[in-house]
Amino acid sequence: MPLEIEQFLHTERLPHIWCPGCGVGSVTGAFLRVVVDLGLEREKTVVVSGIGCSSRAANYIDLGTVHSIHGRAIAVATGIKMAKPRFTVVVLTGDGDCAAIGGNHLIHACRRNIDLTCICFNNQIYGMTGGQLSPTMNVGDKATTAPYGQVERPFDLCRLAEAAGSSFVARGTAGHIRQMETLIRKGMEHRGFSFIEAVVPCPTEYGRRNGTSNVVKMLEDERARSVSRTAAAKLAPEDLACKIVTGVLFEDKAAPEFQAAYAASARAQTKAPGKPSLEEEK
Amino acid sequence: MEQWHSHLLRERVDQSSLVIQGNRACALGALDAGVRFFAGYPISPSSEIMEAMADELPQSGGVFIQMEDEIGSICACIGAALTGELAMTATSGPGFSLMQEALGYAIMVEAPLVVVNVMRVGPSTGRPTAPSQGDVMQARWGTHGDHPAIVLAASNVADMYRLTMAAVRFAQRFRTPVILLADQLVGQMRESFSPELVGRYRLTSGDFDFTPTYIHPDLATEVHNPHVLGSGSHPHVTGLFHDETGFPSNDPEKSDEFLRELYNKVAHHRNELCLYDVKNEGKGRVCIVAYGSCARTARAAYKLAEHEGLPVEVLHLYTLFPLPVEIIQQVARRVEFMLIPELNLGQYAHEIRKMADQWTTVIGMGKIDGTLFTPRELLDRIAELIGKYESV
Repeated sequence: MPLEIEQFLHTERLPHIWCPGCGVGSVTGAFLRVVVDLGLEREKTVVVSGIGCSSRAANYIDLGTVHSIHGRAIAVATGIKMAKPRFTVVVLTGDGDCAAIGGNHLIHACRRNIDLTCICFNNQIYGMTGGQLSPTMNVGDKATTAPYGQVERPFDLCRLAEAAGSSFVARGTAGHIRQMETLIRKGMEHRGFSFIEAVVPCPTEYGRRNGTSNVVKMLEDERARSVSRTAAAKLAPEDLACKIVTGVLFEDKAAPEFQAAYAASARAQTKAPGKPSLEEEK
Repeated sequence: MEQWHSHLLRERVDQSSLVIQGNRACALGALDAGVRFFAGYPISPSSEIMEAMADELPQSGGVFIQMEDEIGSICACIGAALTGELAMTATSGPGFSLMQEALGYAIMVEAPLVVVNVMRVGPSTGRPTAPSQGDVMQARWGTHGDHPAIVLAASNVADMYRLTMAAVRFAQRFRTPVILLADQLVGQMRESFSPELVGRYRLTSGDFDFTPTYIHPDLATEVHNPHVLGSGSHPHVTGLFHDETGFPSNDPEKSDEFLRELYNKVAHHRNELCLYDVKNEGKGRVCIVAYGSCARTARAAYKLAEHEGLPVEVLHLYTLFPLPVEIIQQVARRVEFMLIPELNLGQYAHEIRKMADQWTTVIGMGKIDGTLFTPRELLDRIAELIGKYESV
């Protein structure tokens, strides 16, 4: 029996390009199960991605898909959402795409609180280009461009998103895929900018250089290091250092959403009565 | 500063024309042509375009958004264009440089949009409040790879209105970004103007109908993938080389075919795209070939020349790319000199030289100090050329 998510996959384009053990596929699967669950309309659901391993997911998903340029997925998605407020717009991006080259668009989308769902696949490495350092890589980790170990400190993407104004922030891992699915679902149901960090293993480029390329071990390690938000609150800062704090980390349902605020302001300014606003017309 | 609203303007020009700024005329042209989405980032000397859009779009049911930078601006426009909205952004040199990668993406995914570049003196921060034509080759070749380009140049306030409309038309028809070049002078000067100038306009290249018309994606010319997000389809859009399905392909034959088709959809319609006007056609020994604010100087120089009995004609180019090869070669065959005054060091003169120097002597005149040529400077050069020619 075909899986339910297959209706949203270009199965003729499989097998995909991801390496064995890569976590991008399982999180993409979780996202598609949410699409099925929420009964989203194919014509009104758009996936926008940038460049990188995770962004290649757009190639296999049978929805409206925009595989854009490196770092700019959120900016393209902003244009789509503002032009078509009724669309569900989801950004699939990676740690390099979202937090390095695209960092400016990320923080401003958070600040605007525009109703997008941004799933950032964080594998702490540039996989597509062959294992260069990423802004989420831990100090001491090795990469082709950090052969003696990373000396820069990593971003905590969730704290970054929260501080910038995102009204829904969550983190999950490929090792807890059911929880991941719940988090994506909550994020997509939330009205406002939802930032979801998906911690995924990259055995080929990251694992190989940093201890183990055995993905089972990598997933076990991910699970062992994961703590819930409530458990994390009880830990001392030094015990929290190498932990992955998972769950919904921040949620503000009352924060004004950008598109709605724009439409309200535009309605107040409309001088030609009878002219439909963008929202009403669509 | 004038308080400007397009609907007020329309009422007032029924009686007479009025004085309006070039950048605002550009915004008015965009609105009249049906642009409903504008994303931009402030930069001198183009900001008045976005300010006018910020005034007008929210109250007429459109979208205005000030993005975090020029890259975000053009990307938001691309997003809107992919849903079928008419989108536009406006910038100047430094911002235009930032937009180059996304411009290539828009060409690749055949997203129709208008990018206005009100040029200032560069490189770098340069002189933000002085006119220049230094971005001509950037407009043609700024993004990487071989690609088609449609580049128009405005020489006065009426052009800012009309050519913005033409840019919208071309963008829709060929589903590609269209670049409208202006400069600080044309953008920020105020001039009398009447929107009645829209409609059929007589040019040597043929009457051009500037009346805005919506062109459905299916009726666009030689387009591969006119899918629009949300209009009953759910296409895949990618900047990778792709085939007719929209999905990536590494097949060398398909890659070659794809890029050539993309290129040719513009190249093969050169006659439709190339707008130009010739003054004193066939009566000059010297032809001044000019565009943008230099075309104003050229027209003034022509009047002086007529008065002083110098045999001068003027070829005023509204379209810089695709190259107006036919008219350049036609004029080159009949004149002894082609004089190309530009506010750069000969960017377009070099293009003309490639097309014309087997028939005529192509002389570039460059100015990069942020001031304009005077008509007298052009005439002095012409007198010198003709004198020199006669003494040989």
